[in-house]
Amino acid sequence: MRAREPDAEGYVDRGGVKLHYEVFGNGRPTVFLLPTWSIVHSRFWKAQVPYLSRHYRVLTCDGRGNGRSDRPTAAEAYTEQEFAADAVAVMDATGTRRAVLVALSCGALWSTLLAADHPHRVDGVVYLGPAVGLAPPHPERAVHSFLEPLDTDEGWAMYNQHYWLRDYRGFLEFFFSRCLTEPHSTKEQEDCVGWALEMAPETLIASELGLLLCGLESFERQCRRVRCPTLVIHGDEDAIRPHAQGAALAAATRGRLVTLAGTGHLPQARDPVKVNLLIREFVESLGGMAR
Amino acid sequence: MTLMIPATEQTRARHPDEEGFVERDGVRVRWERYGDGEPTLLLLPAWSIIHSRQWKAQIPYLARHYRVLTFDPRGNGRSDRPPTAEAYDDEQYVADALAVLDATGTREAVLVGLSRGGRWTVELAASRPERVLGAVLIDPALPFMAPLPREQNNSFDDELDRSDGWAKFNRHYWMREYQDFLEFFASQAFSESHSTKQIEDMVGWGLETSPETLILTQLGAQPTSREEMEAILRRVRCPVLVVHGTDDRVRPHAAGVAVAELAGGVLVTIEGGGHCPQARHPVKVNLLIREFVESLGGMAR
Repeated sequence: MRAREPDAEGYVDRGGVKLHYEVFGNGRPTVFLLPTWSIVHSRFWKAQVPYLSRHYRVLTCDGRGNGRSDRPTAAEAYTEQEFAADAVAVMDATGTRRAVLVALSCGALWSTLLAADHPHRVDGVVYLGPAVGLAPPHPERAVHSFLEPLDTDEGWAMYNQHYWLRDYRGFLEFFFSRCLTEPHSTKEQEDCVGWALEMAPETLIASELGLLLCGLESFERQCRRVRCPTLVIHGDEDAIRPHAQGAALAAATRGRLVTLAGTGHLPQARDPVKVNLLIREFVESLGGMAR
Repeated sequence: MTLMIPATEQTRARHPDEEGFVERDGVRVRWERYGDGEPTLLLLPAWSIIHSRQWKAQIPYLARHYRVLTFDPRGNGRSDRPPTAEAYDDEQYVADALAVLDATGTREAVLVGLSRGGRWTVELAASRPERVLGAVLIDPALPFMAPLPREQNNSFDDELDRSDGWAKFNRHYWMREYQDFLEFFASQAFSESHSTKQIEDMVGWGLETSPETLILTQLGAQPTSREEMEAILRRVRCPVLVVHGTDDRVRPHAAGVAVAELAGGVLVTIEGGGHCPQARHPVKVNLLIREFVESLGGMAR
């Protein structure tokens, strides 16, 4: 059951990959809640959709690889360029000339690409816990290989393609316990594990390899090409992506940084009221520009 | 289970507009008032194991529509902790409720009672009908309505040679392992998944009183006979709404069914709900209370 059902939904086909999108509300401007890594699908925005759609027109889309979208098998199908092109296709299919983008974690990669390449279609970008290589990762995540078989399953050693094929659920439970480090997150952890189980580990591996193909060295240049206003929201207890990455992204895009004290990697799930109000305030600050 | 108990209350979604103490026989009881709509709702305490913050998910919503009164039960919160069992007789809590109505200039009110607060609500509605517009009984704990898990093979007063499950509901165990009892009781009161926050709250509130005080609240209870309890229920003349969860592990759903029938009330069953739906199904409970108050119509204005 949902607090808010979509007013319209459909599929857009891009190069043989079908993508499912939903539209809520009809206010202005349009706020596009972008997909993140395919490990979860558009329901990760469930605490934003009912509130934001009371004020704006809200678009969501299941990222390729999960939800009601197709699951291509090749790593090349999961690059930042593909996700960016999917977003443009959804905007075209829904008659959306311009939108404010909201991106979580690695959604930062495609939203930045969109803002840099399509400045006339992006009014502003809100980044939540951005996964960007502008600052070093947490040291414990830089120890183990994703590709090679390992002789340990401890902690972040579970972030390994061979382990995913052996014990997919075990990895998911570990991973989301690190995403959701706040007390009382059992419901959010259960939700995320459930969404991830809607896809197969083979698909998740392809999507991870696709992200590894992303040209991170050019990301800084992309950031410099972003002309629209940006807002970066990052928890200071984010155990997936250091707060320093969000701070660096805010600096690189000349945007505003809001630090959430005690918050982990998924502020939209664990601090939804705060995040919703910040998104609203950001959208309102764009004024007539975004109407 | 490891629990992190916050040392103090963090913040509130809604602060009281007025607060004060009412004193009876040297015992001070702390009350709070929120909002000034009509009618007045008196949210009673449930048992001195917790205090008025049990209503934290109701106050902000209901105070937007009505005048809401709460008070801390004697034995917890900011109310006094008298050292005798007699001070915790059920009639004392009922008299406190009446004293709060008087002290706040409240001629009549809709009463909302959870668990043992349901019993006090019934007794006040039966004895002072002119002050009670309606009664909402949430998972009410009235004696003799249904067999209780804690009464199976158990004794509150005797030393037991085991301490599993409801054997923890024992005065000697409380003196030895008070927090463990609180954690067990909270796990039974919140049988729904994802209740870690509500469990933590309950244990924290329980730690604001002492095992000695909580023991007195059990010794002071006044078991009447089933006939006497039924007679009191039949004397209730105001509209009654009973809300009861099917998975209540403290007071079985059958108890709510019996109370609704005897009081001539409407029963709303919460599928899968535990003993404290106001905490785990707050939106549902708030809307039910609102709908009930509205159904009283002009009578309650």
